[in-house]
Amino acid sequence: MKILVVEDDKTVGDYVRRGLDEAGYHVELVGDGDEGLRRASGRGANYDIMVLDLRLPKVSGIDVLRTLRDRGVGLPVLVLTAQDSVDFKVQALRMGADDYVTKPFAFEELLARVEALGRRPKAIAPPTLKVNGLVLDTGSREVTRDGKRIELTPKEYAVLEYLMRHQGRVMSRTLITEYAWDYHFDPGTNIVDVVITRLRKKIDHAKEPKLIHTVRGVGYVVRA
Amino acid sequence: MTVWYATALILSIAVFAIVIYFARRSDTYQDLDRRIQSEADLTAGILAESYHARGVLVEKDTAGRPVLTPEVAAVLEVVPDFLLVTSRDGRLLFASPDARALTFAEFEQLNAIARPPTTGGGASHLPGRFRIDPNGPTMHYIVRAVPDAGDQFGAIFAGADTRSSELRLQQLLLTIVIAFFVGVVPAILVGGWIAGRALEPVDRMITEVREITDGRSLHRRLAVPMERDELGRLAETLNQMMTRLERSFAALRRFTADASHELKTPLTVVRAGVERAITRPDMPPETLAALEETLQEVNRMTELLESLLTLARADEGRADLHRESVDLRDIIAEAGETGELLAEHAGVGIDIRLPSEPVVLPVDRSRIRQLALNLIENAVKYTPRGGQVSVELGTNDGRAVFTVADTGIGIAPGDLPHVFDRFWRADSARTRTSERAGTGLGLAICKWIAEAHGGTIDVQSRPGRGTTFTVGLPRG
Repeated sequence: MKILVVEDDKTVGDYVRRGLDEAGYHVELVGDGDEGLRRASGRGANYDIMVLDLRLPKVSGIDVLRTLRDRGVGLPVLVLTAQDSVDFKVQALRMGADDYVTKPFAFEELLARVEALGRRPKAIAPPTLKVNGLVLDTGSREVTRDGKRIELTPKEYAVLEYLMRHQGRVMSRTLITEYAWDYHFDPGTNIVDVVITRLRKKIDHAKEPKLIHTVRGVGYVVRA
Repeated sequence: MTVWYATALILSIAVFAIVIYFARRSDTYQDLDRRIQSEADLTAGILAESYHARGVLVEKDTAGRPVLTPEVAAVLEVVPDFLLVTSRDGRLLFASPDARALTFAEFEQLNAIARPPTTGGGASHLPGRFRIDPNGPTMHYIVRAVPDAGDQFGAIFAGADTRSSELRLQQLLLTIVIAFFVGVVPAILVGGWIAGRALEPVDRMITEVREITDGRSLHRRLAVPMERDELGRLAETLNQMMTRLERSFAALRRFTADASHELKTPLTVVRAGVERAITRPDMPPETLAALEETLQEVNRMTELLESLLTLARADEGRADLHRESVDLRDIIAEAGETGELLAEHAGVGIDIRLPSEPVVLPVDRSRIRQLALNLIENAVKYTPRGGQVSVELGTNDGRAVFTVADTGIGIAPGDLPHVFDRFWRADSARTRTSERAGTGLGLAICKWIAEAHGGTIDVQSRPGRGTTFTVGLPRG
């Protein structure tokens, strides 16, 4: 799957490119609207998704979007914007954008939206996550360990899903909070710790091996 | 305006009428007094002249009583009103027809006054007034001596009652009252119409200005009337003011957009770097911990920036809500689960009560969620271990009512009016929480969210007892 990223800021562009690369996409990065327009609407253009920053040198993102739609290019476009007012988002969507992500964004959010736009094959985002007898079905939202069903509240499920999706990698508290709550809590209230304690009771209590591990000062990791 | 005009008109006409009435009244009475005076003088003159011409004016009638000579009496007959002539010893010599028409008792009263006041007969004018009949009209009278008509005469009494004068005054009063209604009512109606016509453009201008300045239509201008009168100039001046307002609002909007871009892009860059590093599998834990802290700070800054931009836009009057019909129970239940987690961490009890019926309102889901989480998070934060937080959603009078009550440290009465101010934090809250407090914008944002939905937010608190926040949202 081929993605065209149009972003003038090198660091952000690089970050998006590498992140999507790691997620298995083929990414091309261009730095201005002119070039983005030329590549997206040129002959032989075969992109599946376009990630478009709205503030660009030369031709603005809105103009790129408008010209693209005027030329009849139906390429799905994910807009990156620093403007989070509803008006502005509505304007972008009316101009033909398919979705948007507000800066500064968590990469997870960008990835989720790119996945949704690209309707990725199930092989890349498997509906069932497994870690050593712990099974999480993202379709039915059912969790079992060793075949025994475990009842989870929505937040417990969200935290566990996030950790299992990135099994073997340490996920920081902030990243977990962002994923499960989409809300900035006071850093002093470590709500993730409470959820982890509950999850441990339900998943790891009197079971071996323990699957949820703490990384001091950082966060948690799920690994066998 | 019209009321003031009518009141002023009525008052001035009433004063005018009262002055006329009393002036007229005193005039009428003076006329009356003058008339009886001249009647008395005339009678005295006739008697004097007759005396000089004939010498004898009194003769005996058939019953032997002294009376005025018939010739003279015939002359006096034509004098109207009451006229009595008495002899020096007080006997009645002549009475006018009006006086003769009186009853005996009444007549005797007149006669008693008509007796010469002093034996010397020095006083020539003795005006006075009395009532013959206690309920009847007042009588004005005058008693005078008859100096040049020999020594038979005692005094002349001339009197007239005020009946006719009062009748005239009553007519005047009636005329005034009729004229008052005939004049004032149309004057008020016409005056109101004229005032309305004169003020109508002003009213229209007020409505237009109100519509324009409600936030979204600053590009509109008032219609300037053709005439360059005061109203035309007022419209022009207002238009100039609105042009400047529009310009400064546009500048603010541009600044807001620029600021959000200029500040958010570097934040995105920092975040991107931190996030990439923190998700690398081979990082040492100390580095990860430092990165996690950096990420937290980036989030704090992002939140602060977003709150500031939200409030800047709110100041501009742009509601900026994305409304959809939502069952508030879903939002509160979700926030409630988070509240339970926070409360468990803080060692605080929490209970969440939701109605059995759906509470569906057109609201901005994420904003209401932010409002609920903000209030619950605050309640838990300011309630000591062992305390209790109660979250309740209900309806009252067609409004959705959401309350968050705690048994926490409370807010001092003097601080209550400021809790929704920006960047405001109670000293007690500042000193109590050793942990870093929030942005200080949370409650200001809550207030904006409630009011942008056409609702209200109120706080009640007693220091040491707890605080209750109540949010009311209208249906539709």
